[in-house]
Amino acid sequence: MPADYPRDSVLAVAGDGFGSLLVHATARYLGFENREITVFGPSPNPVGTYQQFAHNLGQTVLRSESESHFLAPDWPTFAQIDAWSRRSLAPVWRSTRRKYNPGVAEILTEAQVVQRRMGWDQSRVPLRVGWVQREMTPTPHFVLYDEEANFIGRAKHVMLAPGHGPLSFPPVLAKARDDPALADRIVQAYQPKRYVADGRYIVLGAGIASVNEWANILDAGGSVLALTRNPQPETQDLNVPRCLFESLGIDTYLSLPFEQRVRFLGEVLKGSRPDRKQWIDRIEQGEREGRFAAAIGEISAVQAGPAGLRVHITNPRGQDPGWLDVTGVTAGTGFNKSVLTIPLLRRLIEFYDVPVADGRIKLQTNCGVPGLDRPESRLCCMGLIANNVIPHGDTIAGLKFIARRFVSDVARAERLKQRPFTSRVSLQVSMGRDVAQALRRIPPTQQLA
Amino acid sequence: MCPTTLGRVQTRWATIILPAVIAAIISIATHDAGWIVLIGVYFILGVALDSAFYPFIIRWQPPWLTFTLAVGEFILVYILAHVLKVGLTNVEAVLLYWGAWILAIWTKVAILPLISLSWIENAGEFRQTGWSVPPDYQPLALTAFTPPMESSGPPPLARAFSSVNELPQGLRSLPSPSAVHEVPTPLG
Repeated sequence: MPADYPRDSVLAVAGDGFGSLLVHATARYLGFENREITVFGPSPNPVGTYQQFAHNLGQTVLRSESESHFLAPDWPTFAQIDAWSRRSLAPVWRSTRRKYNPGVAEILTEAQVVQRRMGWDQSRVPLRVGWVQREMTPTPHFVLYDEEANFIGRAKHVMLAPGHGPLSFPPVLAKARDDPALADRIVQAYQPKRYVADGRYIVLGAGIASVNEWANILDAGGSVLALTRNPQPETQDLNVPRCLFESLGIDTYLSLPFEQRVRFLGEVLKGSRPDRKQWIDRIEQGEREGRFAAAIGEISAVQAGPAGLRVHITNPRGQDPGWLDVTGVTAGTGFNKSVLTIPLLRRLIEFYDVPVADGRIKLQTNCGVPGLDRPESRLCCMGLIANNVIPHGDTIAGLKFIARRFVSDVARAERLKQRPFTSRVSLQVSMGRDVAQALRRIPPTQQLA
Repeated sequence: MCPTTLGRVQTRWATIILPAVIAAIISIATHDAGWIVLIGVYFILGVALDSAFYPFIIRWQPPWLTFTLAVGEFILVYILAHVLKVGLTNVEAVLLYWGAWILAIWTKVAILPLISLSWIENAGEFRQTGWSVPPDYQPLALTAFTPPMESSGPPPLARAFSSVNELPQGLRSLPSPSAVHEVPTPLG
């Protein structure tokens, strides 16, 4: 049952996705009560959006490793829970070699257990935050309004977790999608899709979403032309180099000026992919069968054609592939990363004159919104919008990193009497047990690494 | 995990406490200092490796490497125990070493992450769960105008309102702002 509103709370999360669950779980672990936390968002399921994207991608395992899951502390790890659940040491053995990636079904099952046990939905007001107003009296706090400008609550500390911006298409494809005759043939990797045998598809990009699509098309019996603007990226297991996931790397990263950080992100986020044997096997087989090839170039024109689409590909570095007749084009180009595409942030930026460069808010080193954030009343960001401070801010590990620090800041500001150690142990053991029991009810996902 | 030198040493301290307490109890019970001495040797060797060797050869430490390092340390402790003649039998020394290691690893895997939410993220260091670089808070302009300085004179609008000036004719006939006593039109 969602919470009634207007609702006053110590801390609020504007957003109802992964980030909200991690902030909520961390706050409950440290000792906050449900009545002190509010999650604002219409979705009754904090993993609903992700679940839909993962389904559309055909993704079966996460790219993240064993520590990236929804329990607040790092023990038990997901591999340990999985091992407990399946009565098998195999997940732990894989984890020690860093070859364990939680299955999508398993991690979503865990999220449901954490959500239920922690009472996430009882803290949730089923409305989207449309406006956040800073108030300074009698004590610094925020007043929250929905998208219809109705008052929905107040909170001393607010975490902005709005998720990604809209899906992004290269301009030529975006324009072509305006034509109803072409729109259905140009899709995003994150959208629902259907591939058919003998179909001819162009997949843009070579990151993890694109590689998933290569495999999906090959599995359906179609042919894939993998088109990238640059030579294929290096394979890498995680979104950013490992040590950047920890304070040591983040210290180094934060020591760079904002512009250098943005440049660095452009480098590391250019589309790396994990080296997974099963994918490689499928792609190599497709190559042998003449159903997979990679090319460098960009789509420069699109029109209707006998196969559905006729696209022109230009290669500024070599010979143009020219006009091609294809069944469809799938863009693995992800989301629009500009904060200006997110209405709540755009309003805050415009009204409070929050500094923005290259479509990113110039956040403080604690992910605080400049000008609005105060130690005694925090306004913090998490997710992709925070990756100029925490480079992996949009991964589970990054969300957890930010959630822990934000909630700890709130706990210090509010002088929270923290949950005692024995209570922490019993909470973790019982949560681990419940997750393990829930995992037993679903078939284990095959590991790809 | 990418432990720093400080993180390695702090973690070594934290994980040796339980084995040291148990070894001390056994030493007292058996009147044989060898048990606690061996733990001392293990600890000193560990700190030496943590501060002068591992940081130079290991940047990112995957979990499998932890066991490999334990085997290497076991060999060194075994040799040192013989050289220093700690007074335990080989079987006692082997049992104590691996018992201590299992306790230490359990402390590391299960207890330290519960004590400190950010112990792993902080490279094994016991820091407050906070941001590594303190923020430079910016003042918030909460009002839509810049407050006047005490020394500044009246603003132009105040000067325009001044009764020193002749009141424009149109201002004289304007109604009062209050609508409390307004007479409804149909009754007027």
